Amino acid sequence: MILPNGKRLREGAVVGVTLLLSLIALRMSAKDPGELSTLDRGILGVVAPAQAAMSTVARAIANVAGRYAELTHVRAENDRLRSENSRLRAELMETKRVAAESGRYQRLLGLRDTTPAETLAARVISIDASPYFRVARVEIDRGEGLVKRGMPVLTPEGVVGRINRVAGGSSDILLAVDPRSSIDVFIPRTGGRGVLRGKAGENGYHSTIEYLVRGEQAREGDLVVTSGLGGTFPRDLAVGKVSRVTPNPSGLYQEVEVAPDVDFARLSEVLVVVAPPPTPDPDAGSPARRPPPLPGHGPSIYR
Amino acid sequence: MRSLLTLLVAYILLVLQSTVLELAPVRMAAPSLGLLVVLYVGVSAKWAISSASIVALCTGYLLDLVSGAPQGVHALVFILICIFARALSTRVAVQGIVLSAAVSFVASLLASVLVIIVRARVTPEGGYGGLKDAPLEALLTGVAGPFVLGLLRRIDGKLEATRARVGLGRGARSRNAGRAQSPWR
Repeated sequence: MILPNGKRLREGAVVGVTLLLSLIALRMSAKDPGELSTLDRGILGVVAPAQAAMSTVARAIANVAGRYAELTHVRAENDRLRSENSRLRAELMETKRVAAESGRYQRLLGLRDTTPAETLAARVISIDASPYFRVARVEIDRGEGLVKRGMPVLTPEGVVGRINRVAGGSSDILLAVDPRSSIDVFIPRTGGRGVLRGKAGENGYHSTIEYLVRGEQAREGDLVVTSGLGGTFPRDLAVGKVSRVTPNPSGLYQEVEVAPDVDFARLSEVLVVVAPPPTPDPDAGSPARRPPPLPGHGPSIYR
Repeated sequence: MRSLLTLLVAYILLVLQSTVLELAPVRMAAPSLGLLVVLYVGVSAKWAISSASIVALCTGYLLDLVSGAPQGVHALVFILICIFARALSTRVAVQGIVLSAAVSFVASLLASVLVIIVRARVTPEGGYGGLKDAPLEALLTGVAGPFVLGLLRRIDGKLEATRARVGLGRGARSRNAGRAQSPWR
């Protein structure tokens, strides 16, 4: 298409302005990554309910589709025993699904009861909308005003990440496996301390411990927990296990990969720690590193 | 009106991308549906490059907010892809399933590389990793490409027909304008 010079100039100017706007947005977000403008909050306020609704519909469809797929292999002859069998299997599947869901909630409730910190339950409404940023979005009932940037997020399995952006009732969690995330951790067996950082470019969810000082060598299977330093994460929260130790005899630091305990691909409910646990009383004799689990409640995340 | 409708489609596709596709069997990658909207407005001769770049900016910014990426990463990349698509459309007519799929595949690969470069500039700790995910994402985008481009073409066509019917179409407007200025009634 051949345009007159004036129009071409105008078109070029608009393209230039859009490029400039995107660069300004980039510069502002680089300066303060968690900051959201009023416009951003407004947009997310419109997007989050749609995501929540779509997520609910998608999960319902997946359940129905799963049951349908289970039933379609039954032959068209409608043999009474076969149909009875499939009906029972569908019921069993449904029961298993309900039991698993109830188990998940019970574990979450158990964690909530055994965590000596004030927490809020949240539902994951989207995860990894872009494969280059490990971020999950959660919807928190009655969490408006309480949730702040930097708050830790947990599941019964371990540390999920921290709140990165807050917009009304929904928040973004920067997952512990994102390269932008850094968590101070230590290995209880060796006492080695380092910084856990997400591994960029991995076709899965992995992280590495940086600056782990050589000393006693870490081994595969070693437990990794939060050190409590830095003030964001309470001490002794489970993070994962050492999955690979790369020998590096000449280096100052050990090269250690960590497989997270949390299954990020199946993340559905999480807890946001809105107030840290009380600091232990130094006059109370032996310091309680973790609270004893309440009888009848789920496992504690504290190791 | 057309831009708003296209942005609404982009919004729906992005919500779809961020929620429904998480249940898909290939967990680690999903087609970049927002990119396909940008690709369409870029290659379509019906769209002026200025309107196309505004749609690209809005779609990219929306993806930045939805995906938790630093604001501006996808916005910048989508505008660049839009310019690339416009340059491409002057040489190749992007029509037919095979060509649509191929262009979607290439655009997705290019967008992935650009996102990784911009991300590395904004958050250096992330490095240049992530390229391993790009081919699978591009493949899925290539598969989805003909459908999404076809859908947008159909929506555009319907809108054009409606505008022409009520006398707001480009052709109709210029015809009316010509008639109004002409001394021969």
